[in-house]
Formats: sequence, structure tokens, C-alpha cells
Amino acid sequence: MWTRFGNIALLIIGLLWASATTAQTIGDFKMDETELYAMTKQMGQFMRRFNYEEDQFGNKLNPKDPKYRNNEMRRQSLPILFDQEKYGTQTELQRYFIEDVTKGDSTFMSFLGGRWYSEVSTTFKYNGTDVSVLLILAVEQEGLGSKWVLTNVYCSEFNKLFPKGELAERERHYLHPMSHELDFMNIYKAFQDPDLIEYYASKDYQPDYLTLFFYEVKQGRLVFQHVDGLKFHVFQIKDWYFEVSWFDRKGLNSGWLMSNVIYMPEKEKTNLIKFYQP
Amino acid sequence: MKKIIATLAFVMCFAGIALAQDELSFERKQAIDSLALEKVRDLSKYIKIVGSKDTPFSEANRVIDRAEELFMSDAEIGVSSIHSNQITYYRVRKYLEHLMRLNYDRVEIEWYNIEYVSDLQRQPDGTYVGVITIFQTFRGYDAEGNLVYKDTTKKDITVYVRRKETQIGGRTIGFWDVLLGDMRVKETTDR
Amino acid sequence: MKTRITSIIMVLLAVFITLGGTTSCKSKKRLAKEAAEAEYKSKVEQARNDLTAILDDETLWTLEEKENRVKTIKDWNLQNAEIDDLISQVEKKLARERAQREEEERRAAEEREKANAADVVLGRNFNSIANAGSTSQANRVINETLGMFESPNVPVLIIISQNPGFNDYDRPTTIEKYLNYLKDQKKATEKVHEIKYNANGKINELELIKK
Repeated sequence: MWTRFGNIALLIIGLLWASATTAQTIGDFKMDETELYAMTKQMGQFMRRFNYEEDQFGNKLNPKDPKYRNNEMRRQSLPILFDQEKYGTQTELQRYFIEDVTKGDSTFMSFLGGRWYSEVSTTFKYNGTDVSVLLILAVEQEGLGSKWVLTNVYCSEFNKLFPKGELAERERHYLHPMSHELDFMNIYKAFQDPDLIEYYASKDYQPDYLTLFFYEVKQGRLVFQHVDGLKFHVFQIKDWYFEVSWFDRKGLNSGWLMSNVIYMPEKEKTNLIKFYQP
Repeated sequence: MKKIIATLAFVMCFAGIALAQDELSFERKQAIDSLALEKVRDLSKYIKIVGSKDTPFSEANRVIDRAEELFMSDAEIGVSSIHSNQITYYRVRKYLEHLMRLNYDRVEIEWYNIEYVSDLQRQPDGTYVGVITIFQTFRGYDAEGNLVYKDTTKKDITVYVRRKETQIGGRTIGFWDVLLGDMRVKETTDR
Repeated sequence: MKTRITSIIMVLLAVFITLGGTTSCKSKKRLAKEAAEAEYKSKVEQARNDLTAILDDETLWTLEEKENRVKTIKDWNLQNAEIDDLISQVEKKLARERAQREEEERRAAEEREKANAADVVLGRNFNSIANAGSTSQANRVINETLGMFESPNVPVLIIISQNPGFNDYDRPTTIEKYLNYLKDQKKATEKVHEIKYNANGKINELELIKK
């Protein structure tokens, strides 16, 4: 019963975006465009729909138009931006989210507003074998405009180089505080076991994976193969974090959609953002 | 002296920002959007002519020249199928020649009415960049008229828009130079 | 005492006034003659200045203003040989200017007419190229249209939007490329905005505007 209700609600919302059932007959084929209208075809369209800066046909609204960024319209259209298979149309979280972003001091998404990242999954050859590498990119303003820049990289091969290690083991490796009086004659011990070398660094030390990545590429050991996928991480909206992923499927809920939505107070974001932009 | 340099740097910084925020009116943006969209429609028409088995070889070649002129010289076309994300790269000319030589008896290429035009963003040199998304269906038939291949593709086409000036008849003409850039061709679920 | 002084003054005044009156009556005619001579001299002076200025093209007057000026001077009927000579020179000059003006107006009207006609012809040809039944038919109209132009490389400007004080254009093209574009795209979405001609009446610049 609930699913059926959900499906009907979804259909209604979908039709908001595609209220003109446009069918085109070509040769022997009838092409129904309703689903393509409903599809969130570009990440930019996600943003424009999120902000209600375009009408249901994708026509840009004049900022002077009363419908432009109209919160009433946003309340109606935002449900279609959720992955309905995961969030349905009436979940508590969804309602709470929509209420929050459309109230008085409503929040809008902005291309140049920062705090949103692309996660590009790629394949590289590392010493001859295929490895997955996640590239994190952010929009950075430069000159007269902006560009995407690499802010971080994740590669399991790099993580293996810096295992957390057991505390007891870590605590056995250090240079005692009077080493300086002996001209650091004991420092050779730090280099005896390369696997443990980082234990001799400050507790604040964080490996810089991007530098490591550039180094390996420059050495010719890490060679780009291809892009496998893309998703976005958005921290821009006050007290919320969400992911936007691509859904290629039939129906009125496809394209770039919110795939993971988490309530996250601003102060909790700081640490997580370091993951994307150290 | 240091103070002067600091002031200069400050002023230049602001000049930069002022330039970067040199916003076009909604109406001018609309005119540019339609100009860009027209280039994409022109390309769609050229693709149809090149793909059609009724187009004589010489005519198809002439049209490929025209189509190539719509693009930046280094533009590439990245194609992937529904089964794999792996992208095959073509130069514009190769892509169109490939289309011309497809081994079907009859081909139907049609475009959905949907044309989605992104906002224009400026890149560091000030050139505006946008992406126009269109959808195409392709159907290939054999000699007996049987449908032997069909797909639906989403085409995301980069559009570069530059403000340029030229002298014509002693007048300075300010124009928008619209060139197509890389094009992503992704097969999608048949609808 | 005071009254006595007053009456003496009154008498003196009366004498002065009477004397004065008789002298002015005598010189009045002379003065009138002098004034007439002065006026004539100043008119001659004025006429000479104006006519010379017209002859030397030193005025900012329009042709009509110059003609009116000459008419006024003639109406003065100065009967001065020098002025009469100047008038006849100026009249010849103005007649030439008048003829030239009329010729220009006639030519402009012709141009307008031609432009209007060309406007219609071009619009018709654009449509028949776009809607041609075959490539050869389209090519025939293209060649016919090219005949109206100075060369196939004549620049074609396309206005995409009109803004206060300036226009936004598409990338300039040439008439040959534009006509072939109509053929390939099978659409004519621009109309003629302005046509410019060379001395031989061939189009050497074409400005179009999006319909």
C-alpha cells in the first residue's frame, strides 16, 4: 500500500517537471520525452533545480521573476532531487531537509560558493597492475574565472605505506631526548626499518598523499588509465552534507540525485572537509 | 615604496574582481544561450546528413568540413557504451568519418526535443564555458529492413563563448565567438 | 527771497527751451538724411559680408537659410554694382548647390528603393535556398544570389541581440559561406537589416538580424 502511494506521489512530482507529455513520432518509433525532461541532466541543473532558478522545462528564470528562487516552488520540486529508491517521497529526513533549506533564511547552492567537491574514481597502472585511485577536486577561482583543481587523492597503495600500527609498537620507536648530546649517533636506527620510519615524526604529522601521488606519477610508476565514475560531495548547505550521484534508470527520478543525505552541524563538518581538502 | 606596491596590489586585486564580476544582463545571456544552442542544432543537422546513406560521398565530406569548423581545433569526442564506462576518444573528423562509413543499409538518426543549456561559467582567461545536453537515438537496418542495432545516447557538448572584436567597413564589430569543445557521448537506458 | 530765485530760474529755462527748439528744427532733415545714408551703408556692408561669406562657404547656414538670405538682400534693392555682382555670383553658386542636393536626394531615394527591393529579393532567395528540393536547385539560387554581391567574400554580419547603444553579433561570415549554410541547415532564421553598396551598385556589406 505504502509503495503504491509512494509511486503515485513520485509520478506527480515527476510530472511537475515534465507536465507537458511531449511525444515525438519518428519513423516507426514513438519517442516519449517526459522522462528526459524529468531527468536531472547536469550537476548544474541539480543546482538550478535546488535553487528553483529554472522552470519545469529547463528554461532559465529571470531573477526578476517572482518564481525565481521561490521557496514555495522549491518545496514542491525538491523531492525529485532525492534518490527516491532510497528516500521515498515522504521520509522524515527528506521533509526535515526540505523544511530547513526553504525556511526564512533559506540556503541556496552556488557554483562558486566553495565547500563542494568532485570525487572522480579512476584506474591507474601502478608498477604494472591496475589500481583504483580516487581523485578529489574542488572549484578554485583564478584570474577572470575559475577552474577545477586537485585537492586530495586516495589510493589504497598509499594507505598501505602508512598503516596506523599498534600503539605498543609505535611507542617503542623514538629518539630519546638526550640524543642531541651524542651528535644523534643513534639516528641510524630510525632508518633501519623503512616501514616504521614515520613513527619518528611528530604526532601532528599527516602524510601528504597528493605530493606522494605527484611523485609517483613523475617517477613514471603511476600511469593514468581511465575515469570510472563521478560523484559530488556537498558541504555548502548549512547543517547538511549530501552526496550527488548519477542514476541512469527509467522513470521520472533519474540523473544527478541526492544519494546520501546527512544532518551535520557546521562544527562537525570541519574535520570531514579536511578529508577532501587537507 | 613597499606601501605603494601594497596599495597597487590591492587596487589590482579589486580591478580583477571587478572584471571577474562583469556580469551580463539576463537578456544578453539569453541571446548567447540561443546562439550556442543554434551551433549545437547545426551540428545535429550535419550529423544527420553525414550519417544518412542518401548523402553522396563528396557532399558528406563537404559537410564534415563544415561540422569541423564548429569545433575548437583540439576538441575530442569521448564515447562510452552502456556496458562500460570506459571512454573511447575520437577527433571530430574521425568520429564523423566513422559515422559515414557505418555498415548499415539504412540509418535513422533522430534528436529528442530536449536541449538543456547550462549556466555559463568563466574560465581563468575570461572565456565563458557552458555545456549543452542533447539526446539522440540511432537505428541501423540491414538490407531486408530489419532493425539490427539501436541506441540512445546523451551528448554533453562543451561550448566556449568568447567576446571578440573585428573591423568591418571601418567599423568595430563586437561579436560572440562560439566554438564547440569536447563532446561526451554516453549511451543511456533506452526509454 | 526764495520765490524770486525760483522765478528767475523758470524764466531762464523758458528762454533755453525756446532757443533750443528753433535750432533742432533746422538740423532734423540733415539728421534724417545722415541716418538713411548710414542705414544704406550698413546694409551694403551687411550684404557684402553675408554674400562673401556664402561664396567662401564660411557660414553654418543651410541651403534654405542661404537662399532666404539672398532673397532678403535682393529685397533691399540696394542698387549697388558691387552687391549686384556678388548676388549674381551667389545665386549661381546656390543654384549649383540646389541641383547637387536634389541629385543626392534622388540618388538616396533610388538607393532606398534598391535596398528595399534587394531586401525582398534576398529574403526570398534565402527561403528558396533553405527550402530547395535538391542540392542543384539550391546551388542555382546560391549562384544567382552571389551575382548581387561584389564578391563571394563580402562580409555578412548577424545581429543576435540589440542592446542600448550597441549590438551583439555572431562571428562574421561571408555571403558564400552563409548561403551554403542555409542550404545545409535547411533553415532561414535571419532577415535583412542593412545593405551597403559599392559604386557599381553591387552589395559590399550585408547586415542580418535573427528573426
